[in-house]
Amino acid sequence: MTSQLPVAPALPLTSQPLPFPPLHGRAGFSGFPSPAQDYEPRTLDLNVRLIKNPSQTFYLSATGDSMEGWGIFDGDLLVVDRSISPRLGHILVAMLDEEVLIKRYALHHGIPHLCSAHPGYPPLPLEDADCQVWGVVRAVIHEYLR
Amino acid sequence: MYVPLFTSTYDDAYAMIGLVDANNFYVSCERIFQPHLESKAVGVMSNNDGCVIARSAEMKALDIPMGTPAFKLETLRQRGEIHLLSSNYELYGDMSGRLAQLLRDACPDIAPYSIDEMFIYLDGLSDRQCQTLGESLRRRIHRGLGLPVCIGLATTHTLAKLANHAAKKQPQYQGVCLLNGQDALTASLLAQTPVSEVWGVGKRLAERLAIGGIHTAWDLHESDIKQLRKRFSVVLARTALELRGTPCLHMNALDQPRQRIMTSRSFGQSTGVKAEVHDALRRHAQRSAEKLRQQHSLTRAVMLFLNTNRHRRDQPQYFPQALIPLPSPSDDTRVILDAVRQGLEQIYRPRYRFMKAGVMLLDLVDAEQHQLSLLNAPAHHHPLLMATVDDINQRMGQGTIRFGMTDNDAPWQLRCAHRSNRYTTRWDELMKAGTHPGAIAACTSRT
Ligand SMILES: [Mg+2]
Repeated sequence: MTSQLPVAPALPLTSQPLPFPPLHGRAGFSGFPSPAQDYEPRTLDLNVRLIKNPSQTFYLSATGDSMEGWGIFDGDLLVVDRSISPRLGHILVAMLDEEVLIKRYALHHGIPHLCSAHPGYPPLPLEDADCQVWGVVRAVIHEYLR
Repeated sequence: MYVPLFTSTYDDAYAMIGLVDANNFYVSCERIFQPHLESKAVGVMSNNDGCVIARSAEMKALDIPMGTPAFKLETLRQRGEIHLLSSNYELYGDMSGRLAQLLRDACPDIAPYSIDEMFIYLDGLSDRQCQTLGESLRRRIHRGLGLPVCIGLATTHTLAKLANHAAKKQPQYQGVCLLNGQDALTASLLAQTPVSEVWGVGKRLAERLAIGGIHTAWDLHESDIKQLRKRFSVVLARTALELRGTPCLHMNALDQPRQRIMTSRSFGQSTGVKAEVHDALRRHAQRSAEKLRQQHSLTRAVMLFLNTNRHRRDQPQYFPQALIPLPSPSDDTRVILDAVRQGLEQIYRPRYRFMKAGVMLLDLVDAEQHQLSLLNAPAHHHPLLMATVDDINQRMGQGTIRFGMTDNDAPWQLRCAHRSNRYTTRWDELMKAGTHPGAIAACTSRT
C-alpha cells in the first residue's frame, strides 16, 4: 500500500520518555523492594542527565568564536532550559536588538552585565540594553568526532 | 436540589475547570524562534492551497480575513508590510505537546481539546488559590515555552470557555479570568454575552431563542430549566445549568464544529495491544469524518493522542500525540484513516497501557469555499475541474479562464517555500545563537 502523505518524524526525546520503559517498570512505585532490583540492567540516559525540564528544554546551535574563552565553540550544541530563572554566573541566550546571542550574566564593576569572552565585545549593562532573556544554557555539547 | 439532568462523568470529580488557550498559536510558535517577527504583521498559510490559516494581532488589525489567498497579499508581502509563512505543522505539533506536558506536570488532570486549547482540572483549592495558580501557570508558559496564553477558570466547561473569552478580549483581566457562577462578575459578563456565543448554541438555535426572548447568556441562565428542556432540548437545558455553575456537560459535548472536530474516549479497559488502540482510533476517525462531511467542511490536518492512566502511579506513563498534515484539504475517510495509521506508527510504543485515545481534525475549511479557491490555483488532482477549464478554454480561446497566479509554477513553489525551520524536531534545522552581534550574519554569508 502506498501513501502520498508526507512522513513526519516522531516527537523528539525532549518531550517523550525513552522509547521503552524498563521491563519491570515500577515508575514511582514503592512496594516491596525486589531483591533482584539492584541487579536489573540499567541504562545511563544522557537525556536524564542533561535535561531536567523536558517540556521547556530546547537545543540551539552556537555560531561564532567569541565565547571560546568559556568553552563554547562554533557549531557546539547548546542545551537551553527556559524554566530556570537567570542568576549571576549563568550563560544565557538573550535577545538584543533582534539578535539571538549567547552571553554570560555577570557583574562588571559591581553591576550586572551581559558579558562576552572576547575583548572585542565589551560587557553590555543590562539596564540600558533592550534585552530579553530567551533561556539559560544548562549544558554545551562539543563533539570531537562528527 | 436534585438535578435529574446531571450526568456523572470522569471530569466532574474536579471542583474547578480551566481552559488554557494559546493566543494566535501558529504565529506565536514562529515568533519563539524568530524573535524579529515580534510586533510585526505575520500570517501563516496553508501549504497546498495557499490561504491564510492563522494571523497575528497586527495582521487582524489590517483587516486581512482568514482564508485570504496568498496571491492577493503578494504586494503587501513584497513591500515588507506583512510576513507570510508556510505552515510548519511539525513545529506546531511539538509545541502543542510541550504545552500539554507542562500543564500535566502542574495540574491534577488535563484534557487536550484542540492543538492549542487544553482543559485543566483542579481540586481542593479556593477560588483565590485557583486564580493565583492560573496567573502563575500563565507566567510559566510564557517564560518556559515563549507562548502567550489566556486562561478561563470556572466550575463548568461552558463557563470556563466564557471566562477564557473574557480573559482574551478584556485587558483588565490580564489573561486570567475566574467566574464562580454566582457572583456579580459572572452576572455582568453573561449579560454582555450574546447567547450565540455560548458553547453549543449555534446561530440557528440563537434565532429560535431570540423569538422566545432569550438574547443573552444571562437570559439563558435565568430561563426555566424544565421549559428549556421541553421547548428546545436536553442539551440546552444542561447548558443553562452549566451557566449557573452546575457541571453537567462533558467536554466532548462542547463542539466548535466550524473550527475543529474532536472525538475522544476512554477505553473500557486500558490496553497496550496495538491493534486495539488502532481500532479505537479508527472508530474516532470515522466518526470525526462523518461530522466533517455533515457540516460540509474539509480538514487540513489530523491530530491524534494517546494517554496512559496517570492515576496508576505504579505503571509507566506516556502521553504522546502526533500531528499529520494532509497533502490537500480532504473529507475522505480513507485519507484520514491513513493519517491516523501513520500517526500511530510514530507514537506507539509497546509495554504502555493506554487508557484514552482521541482524534482531532484541525484547520477546517468550508468545502464550497475551497472549491472556489481552487479556481485560483492549479489542482492537478481535480481532473474534472481541469477538464472543464480546458474545455472552456478550447471553445472560447486560450486564457478565457486563467488561474489567479500569473506564474503557473508559483503556487507549487509556495507550498513550503516560506516554511521556517523545524527548530525542535530536526538536528540540522536548530535555532542559531550568535556569540557576538553579527556572528550569524557572517556565518550565513560565508556559506
Ligand atoms: Mg488559540
